[in-house]
Amino acid sequence: MKNNIRVERAIKNITQGELAEQVGVSRQTINTIESQKYVPSTVLALKIARVFGKPLEEVFMLEEGD
Amino acid sequence: MIMKSRFLFPYWCRYLGWGLVLLHVPLTMLGRARGMVNVLDKPSTGLFTGEHLFFICTSLVMVSGLFLVAFAKEKVEDEQIWQIRLDSLRWAIFVNYLALIVSLVFIEDVGHMLDLNLYVPLVFFILRFRWIIFRLNLSTSKEG
Repeated sequence: MKNNIRVERAIKNITQGELAEQVGVSRQTINTIESQKYVPSTVLALKIARVFGKPLEEVFMLEEGD
Repeated sequence: MIMKSRFLFPYWCRYLGWGLVLLHVPLTMLGRARGMVNVLDKPSTGLFTGEHLFFICTSLVMVSGLFLVAFAKEKVEDEQIWQIRLDSLRWAIFVNYLALIVSLVFIEDVGHMLDLNLYVPLVFFILRFRWIIFRLNLSTSKEG
């Protein structure tokens, strides 16, 4: 699964730490999601999309082989 | 939804746990100096004799220390930590049973089984859990 979190963060101008705080996880978790080492739960993915004010599919998308 | 972590001790219990683990060392040394032997190393001395009580106390200190360390919450106990926790527990059970099966086949004396079962899962769990979190923190701090 790919995601646009880094881009969306840049648009919104917030750091990993700030995003982490807003969705209630650690900065490490946001970091591993961004670098595609960890796939978040549906709840967490929805929370992240809500922070950016976008539908889920614009932040997270399936990739070939998923 | 908040990650449910009802079965974990508060964060400070980790330090209490390490304290108990460290306390185990001087306690055992003191006992040995006074001529106490591990009851598992010799034929039965009967229940609740001095040596048996001493064995219970030292083992309890050690096991409850490890237990607290293993099952204390992280500072931020999120879903990724939870996943690492479960994965480490799975590995700990694997390793424990591997050790039990191997020793069942190759070692005659079964007294050590208790020792194995008491410590292997907890120690292995703690080592793996902390190692994965250490690596996680390392990669995060590298990327800033």
